[in-house]
Amino acid sequence: MAGHYEAVTAYPEGTSTVSRYAKTAASQGYDGLVVRTRGAEYDAAAIGDRYDVDIVAGIEVDAESPDSVSGSIGNFRGECTLLSVRGGTNAVNRYAVEQDRIDVLTGPMAGNGDFNHVLARAAETHGVRVEFDFGPVLRSSGGQRVQALRGLRKLRELVEQYDTPYVVSANATSHFGLRAPRELIALGEQIGFSAEQVETGLAEWGRLAARNRERTDESFIAPGVKRGKHEEDG
Amino acid sequence: MKHLPKHIRPRWRYLAVEIESTPDAEIDRGAFQRELWYAAGNLLGDPGSADADLTVYSFAFEDGTGETIIRVRRGETDPARAAVACVDAVDGEPVGLSVLGISGTVRACEERYLGRRTGGFDQRHVAFADADRPAFSRDDAVEVSMPTGFVSATELDFE
Repeated sequence: MAGHYEAVTAYPEGTSTVSRYAKTAASQGYDGLVVRTRGAEYDAAAIGDRYDVDIVAGIEVDAESPDSVSGSIGNFRGECTLLSVRGGTNAVNRYAVEQDRIDVLTGPMAGNGDFNHVLARAAETHGVRVEFDFGPVLRSSGGQRVQALRGLRKLRELVEQYDTPYVVSANATSHFGLRAPRELIALGEQIGFSAEQVETGLAEWGRLAARNRERTDESFIAPGVKRGKHEEDG
Repeated sequence: MKHLPKHIRPRWRYLAVEIESTPDAEIDRGAFQRELWYAAGNLLGDPGSADADLTVYSFAFEDGTGETIIRVRRGETDPARAAVACVDAVDGEPVGLSVLGISGTVRACEERYLGRRTGGFDQRHVAFADADRPAFSRDDAVEVSMPTGFVSATELDFE
């Protein structure tokens, strides 16, 4: 199974640079990091060498309407390994789960966003991962946190019912927000997830990155098709 | 009160926890304990929080980094881990916590997991975001002082 990955918001949108995230992530036992921020500047190879963390170039599209999400997909799909769309409104959620070119729908339950069986099925059909965002559980309190927990529970029930693929993240905006995989697993167990679910969700980022890298590789033709020597006739 | 016979004394586990914060953060044991109990109370509820116990045993914090040992009842280490993960700020200063390990005695905990902190910060200036800015550096971590607060970077960002 792939190792644990986490997806983070780096400077300039967050307050830590990619390399600093990598330093903390490495000490906490992560194998890789997905960068959500388009404007972040970093040298993935140098960071990988220094901290032994696989840095995945990602872009998180944060747009108000399906129209602008659509434009962003066209613009950024080729630029990054992992393209995600920030959910949070019903229109964007609906649009995102029906796009094969989107890898992850992040924070579908944030704000006014909601999720239902139709979206869960569509996400499964189109291979769009939905994100369980542990951020508000880790960093907010009171009513906001209760709402976030309610959202997570609803999403989890739908995901279990319809086998929708998913990812898990602490959604950190600074390296202080990173929590080790074991901590996230322990937290998940407190709020109703199984340890396997959280592990699968953390590993899914890595699996997605590996899949997309393979697909954008020059030698890739189509899923399951490989260039090679033909078998000699016996 | 007379202390309990050995076989009915509670059994404890000790969590070694590493604390990381901004260079100018001042966190003391009392504040950390309060936040920890809040976090546990909010996540685990009063009964769960009482079960886990979560007493801060030893606490050291200086120059934006620290270590602490948290006492937990045996068998409650997973809820405790979750509660520790939910501490995100102490006195308004953001903190990053990670559990380094768990031991059955304070001494084993200290010997095996703690005492690896390195020295204080060096102050210097770095070129970051189109300007020369004051920064604090230690090992390869660099905290750059920006008008909006600190931005955390590493030496790799200045090579």
